[in-house]
Formats: sequence, structure tokens, C-alpha cells
Amino acid sequence: MPKTRRAPEASTPGQMDRVALACLAVALAVATGWLVYGEASPEYAGYQRSLRESIRQRLGEAAAATTPTGIQQIWIAQAGDANRCVTCHAAATWRGFETAAEPLRTHPPDILRSHPVERFGCTPCHGGQGWAVDEARAHGRVAHWPEPLLDTPLADALIPGAGRRTLMELRCNVCHRYERETAGTPAINRAKRVLEQKGCRACHRVNGRGGLIGPDLEAIGDKNPEQYDFSRLAGRPSAFRWHGAHFQDPRALVADTVMPNFHFPPDEIRALTLLAMSWKRPAFVAAFSGDLPRSDPQPEEERRLVEEMGKGPGGWFVRTGCYTCHPVAVFGVKSPTPIGPDLSTAAEDTERRFSRPIDVFVRNPAGTMRAVFARQFMLSPAEKDEAIRQLRAAFAQYEALRAAGRNPLEPAK
Amino acid sequence: MPRRRFWSVFPASAREATDAIVANLLLHAFPARMRVRSLAWTPSLWLGTVSWVLFVSLLVTGLPLMVFYIPSTREAYQSVKDIEHVVSFGWWLRAAHRIAAHAMVIAVTLHLARVFLTGAYRNAAEREQHREWNWVIGVSLLAATVLLSFTGYLLPWDQLAYWAVTTSMNIVASAPLVGRSIRSLLLGADEVGQSALMRFYVLHIVVLPIAVAALFAYHMWRIRKDGGLAHPSEAREHQDALVVETIPTVVIRVAVVTVATWLAVTVLAILIPSPLEEAANPLLTPNPAKAPWYFLWLQEIVADTTVRLGPFTINGALVGGVLLPVALLVVTTLWPWLDRSPASTAGVWMPRQRRTQLLVFGALAVLVVGLTVVGLLRGPSWHFFWPWQPWPDMPSRF
Repeated sequence: MPKTRRAPEASTPGQMDRVALACLAVALAVATGWLVYGEASPEYAGYQRSLRESIRQRLGEAAAATTPTGIQQIWIAQAGDANRCVTCHAAATWRGFETAAEPLRTHPPDILRSHPVERFGCTPCHGGQGWAVDEARAHGRVAHWPEPLLDTPLADALIPGAGRRTLMELRCNVCHRYERETAGTPAINRAKRVLEQKGCRACHRVNGRGGLIGPDLEAIGDKNPEQYDFSRLAGRPSAFRWHGAHFQDPRALVADTVMPNFHFPPDEIRALTLLAMSWKRPAFVAAFSGDLPRSDPQPEEERRLVEEMGKGPGGWFVRTGCYTCHPVAVFGVKSPTPIGPDLSTAAEDTERRFSRPIDVFVRNPAGTMRAVFARQFMLSPAEKDEAIRQLRAAFAQYEALRAAGRNPLEPAK
Repeated sequence: MPRRRFWSVFPASAREATDAIVANLLLHAFPARMRVRSLAWTPSLWLGTVSWVLFVSLLVTGLPLMVFYIPSTREAYQSVKDIEHVVSFGWWLRAAHRIAAHAMVIAVTLHLARVFLTGAYRNAAEREQHREWNWVIGVSLLAATVLLSFTGYLLPWDQLAYWAVTTSMNIVASAPLVGRSIRSLLLGADEVGQSALMRFYVLHIVVLPIAVAALFAYHMWRIRKDGGLAHPSEAREHQDALVVETIPTVVIRVAVVTVATWLAVTVLAILIPSPLEEAANPLLTPNPAKAPWYFLWLQEIVADTTVRLGPFTINGALVGGVLLPVALLVVTTLWPWLDRSPASTAGVWMPRQRRTQLLVFGALAVLVVGLTVVGLLRGPSWHFFWPWQPWPDMPSRF
């Protein structure tokens, strides 16, 4: 063994180590105590205590003992989602807290009768992050949580003056989308009427029916915000704001769009935005929908009319699909959404509007018809020849009726 | 005597002190006596001990996390949400595990830098010493540490995890000949999915911790065999060194370092919450998609070195992601044999005789740290933002 020397006390390093160790140990004890204290006094404990106290004062000790302590949750099995909102919102199903401040307010009872909270949870209607048990994260106004709580501040920012309940209608329609009319959702109902009146289905697929000229809107509410083009939208980039601006003026956001500007009034823009954002497909829809309709078939009346028109002299226009946008009055063909001009005069009209005779126009269309022929009605050369023949026949009929002194564009009786 | 309640060993002789060390399971890794200069702060900065304490704290915090975590693509994200929101101390365990993991990568890297700057891979006594071999073990410990951190990165199964691993694995796949095979081996597929999660999980909780523990034991054993910390006069001092008894001096010093490290982890974990982004979505690349921070300098090189010369394209992923790091790793591993400076520089901080290699090392360190900082400051579309420049609003649903 080598010869070594013991270091003299004074030159030994670590003279202060005992003091340092003691200080560090005290600091560690304080930090650990801080951690344990924080964990033992969560945000929700205070709310649960004050609820218990109110119940004790009103109903006595026995009732107070039934109030919850600790984290509470509703497990929505079909969605694989936990809703822990009731941890703080513990008075939601108690009577007598109708005027209390949140989070200890009674939930309006009517809607809970048809949508029991034990089954539906909270976030399917309200949004927010059901996993969390502190306010900031539970209300979902944090980074990396896409579905914030649909509360008053958010409603004021997005649809000023309309209020939180209007904003929440979009969540109602996630399940109620196939209904024509849903009680308690006036904005959504209005948007659904506009949808029919303006004939959005002529170009867009909605609830399983519609054209292919515009984008499929089946699940447009699920479209990721990253996938929108915000380069022409001023201000905060959000999918909701994008749809609002797009309904106001489609061409302002998408330069080469063929979607016309419908000049909607502001409340219709708001209603349509809510409707578009409601078209989403979360996991719970099938389980929650109960007796609600699961499809949106063509109305029987409309179907019968189409069948009749198909047998008439304008049958070709009906079978080919032209009638979705264009009436052909001379043959008695009506359009459910007459956004295109009457085809009775098209053979002459293309010359005036596009400086192309009808045969050139059909073979080489311009404007909206170019998109229509490219995306939805992809006619073969033979079919195009037939189209030219049919359009000329319609115009010949128009001229004949006019020569007979009648107004050919008068709706057929 | 109150002291005896906390400490029962008071050896009367050097022989008794040695026996006390050898007889104790926990203490027998220590020598019975230690040189005074080895105990000091300056030669080593105690970075190796810090690294080991961080490793043990990762085991301690990792074990309860393992109980709550579910390594399945369907449930991993939700189990981490639950750890974060409802498991008692779960958020802190996760934060402490994350902070300790990042700190361990830093501590091990600094430890390697310290050993390089003091030339501590040299053998001044030249008798039964193989410090160059311990350097190689040290480099593999650094690699294992980085791999531990990287495999842990995937487990939360959020966008950050999914895309950091996807990006890194695509870089690995760009290596000539073996790239795609290595990626297939690690992922069990061509893309990140359930089999990748399982492989990363097994590597993270079993294979790599055992590898680090085994390599560490070997590392410590070699330090003992090589005669402790390197010092230019260790050959002469072998006969005549100034020493202290391990009990109590060394034990208390180790306790100071241990408690200080654990205290830092505890407090930082309380102050710095762990991020958890949206659930992994293979169809949606976040903007920007960044590699883990210790690979950011490589990602920066990858992004900057895709050069086109006439008909030839120099692939950035190949240069920055494969050739450069592999070359650096090989040179680093072999450095003790490449360094021709005299053995008398062993254990001396930045001696004049090694000026050239120190300058090259310094330049490389500045470059790596600089590129890492640039990578950290990158924002959407890989644009550069100064810390005081706000990032543009990211698109949201509402």
C-alpha cells in the first residue's frame, strides 16, 4: 500500500460542507413542503367546501354530507372522454343555486331533462377540456386545446351582440344536423332555411346530398385550422372568422372561386357560419343521437316533381342534372334553386354573354359553366352534341311560342 | 451523544476506516481514502456525480410514471393527460422526469467537455492506466443518455412527440446503405406507429437504463483502477499524496452534490410545467416541426445545407443529419489516440501545449451552441424570430 499523508484539518476541502448540507436539506424540506401543500389544496377544494357550507345552512348536516369531495367525473364511454367539470360545477344538478355565481350555479333544468348530464356529460354541448380540473385548462383557453369553452367572452368576440346561447347552437347541431327544425336553435334553423332557399346543394355536398362543384361540406367543421388559407383574411386567423368573411364575400378570400356573392345580411352570415362550423363528426354522435333522424333525404314532393318533369318534353335537362340550377320554362322544367339563367334562350344568350355561339360554348365553356363541366357534369363529346341539339330545340320552341304571341318564359301551368 | 443518532462510524485507525468502507454495500464503490485535490470543486466540477444523481432521480420519478402510463397509440395521450391533471403529484413527477432528463443531457455533455478541456483521458503515471478506454465508455454513456431522452420524447404521443421522432427518423433514413434498415429496426415500420411506440418504450424503460447502469459501473470501476482523477504529477504523488478519509469527508461532499441536484430538480419541476400538445395526428404537420433541442443544431444544418450545384444536389439530411454527426462521433471517440500532446498535460485545465485543438473545440462548441439557439428561435415556416419579436398568430378553430 502506498505511503500517504493525512491532510491537516485546515487544508482539507469541504470544511463548509456540513453547513452547506444543512442549508440544502432545509431548502429541500421547504420546497417539498411547498409541493405537498399545493397538491393538498387544489382549486376545486374551495368550491366544494363552500357548496357544502351552503347546503349545511339550508338543508342541514345530513344533506351536506352527500356533497362530493375530490375529483368527480362523468365518463363518456362512446367518446372515450372524461368530463371532470362537475368537480367544480358541483351544484349543477342541485336546486336552489339558480342565481349563485359560477361555478356553483344550478344548470337550467329543462335541457338536462332531455340531455341528462350523467349520459351526455358537459363538453359535447359546451366545449372545453373535460380532462382538466383547473379553470384555465378546463375551459380550454390554452394553447394546444382546439375546442374552447363556448362562453360569453368568446361569443362577444366572435358574434358580438348575439350571446353565448347562439354560439352554443353550433354544438346542438352536431347531433341535430339532420333535423329541418330544432327547438331552441333559432339561428341554426334560419341557416337551414337559407341553405334550401339559396340552393347550396347545387354545388356543395351537405348531409349526403349535393353537387361536386364546391368543396364537400359534410365535415367542414372538423377541417383543421392549419388547412385554411388565411393570406387574404385580416386579423386573427381562425376557421370561424374565415367562414364569416367568406360568406360575406367569397372572392375576397378565394380569388378564383366560382361561388357567387349572395349578399347575405349580417345575421344570416352569422347563422350560416354557425351551421358550417357545426358540421363535424365527433365520436359521440351515433351514441347520443337516439331517435333523431340520421339522414336528410330529398323531400318526397321534390322527388315526385322531378320524376314528372323527367317524363315531359324537357326530360333530358332533368336526367342530365341541368335543372338543379337552370329552369327550362318552354318545356315546363322548374329548378329547385334557379341560380342559373333559363336555358330556353341559352342558344342565343351565349352569343351575347360570352361572345360564343352555343355549339362553341358547350364544347369550350367559360365562366361558371367551365367549373361545372369540369367537376360535376363531365359530358362526353356525344353528350355535348346532344346538349347542343336540346338547347337549340328549346330555343326553337321559344321562338314558336313568341310567334304565337305568348310569353314563353311564363311559368308553365 | 446526539451525533451518534445520525452517524455511527467513527474509525480509530486507517485500517478501521478501510474496513468500514469495504463492509458497506453502498459505500464500497468509494475508495477508503481520496486525494485532497480530487475532492476539490475545480478539477471535476463534480459533473459526473451530478449526472449520476440525475440518472437516479430519473429512475425514482420514472417508476411511478410507468404505473400510470399506457404504451398504446390509443391510450398513451389520455394516460399522460390523466398523469398531468388527476394523478396525485403526477404533473410534478412528469415535470421532474422531464427536467432531470434535459439536465442529464446537459450535465453529461459538460462532463465530457470538462474531461476534454483538462485532458483527463491521459495517463500521467503510465502504469496500469487506461483512461483512454474510460473516455470511450464515457462517449457511449453520452450516446446512451441522448437515446434515453430521445426514446422518452415519443411516449406522450402528442404532436410534439410524433413529429420530432418522425423528422429525426426521416433524417436517419437518408443515411446511405443502412439508413432505411435502421429506421425499420427502430420503428418496426416505415412510419411512426404502435410498433414504434412499443420499441421506444422498451428501449426507454428497460434496455437503455440497464445499459447506462452497467456502463456507469464499468466507468466508476475504471476510475478506481486508473488511480482517480488525472493529474500531471500523479506518478510522483502515487507515493506521497495528501489524502482525506472517505468517511465522513467524501460522503458528506457527495451528499451535498446529491441534495443540491435533487433540490434543483424539485424546484424547477414546480416552476416549469411540461408541455403537452394536441394528440398525435399523422395527417397534420405542426408548423414549425422541431427535433428535440439537442438535435436542433443538426436540424439547422439540415435546413441550411441542401445545396444544388448544377446537376448535383447535396442532400442536407445526409450532410447535417448523418455524415457530420457520425464523423464527429468517430473523431470524438478516437480522440485520446489522436491527441499527441505530452502526458504532463493530464488533469490541467486548457494547457498552452494543446492550444490548437482547444481553439478548434471552442469554435465547434460556439457553432453548436449558436446553431442550437438559432434553432430554438425558429418560428412558423422556419422563419427566424428574435426573442422580443412575437410569433404570428397561429390558426385556431374559433
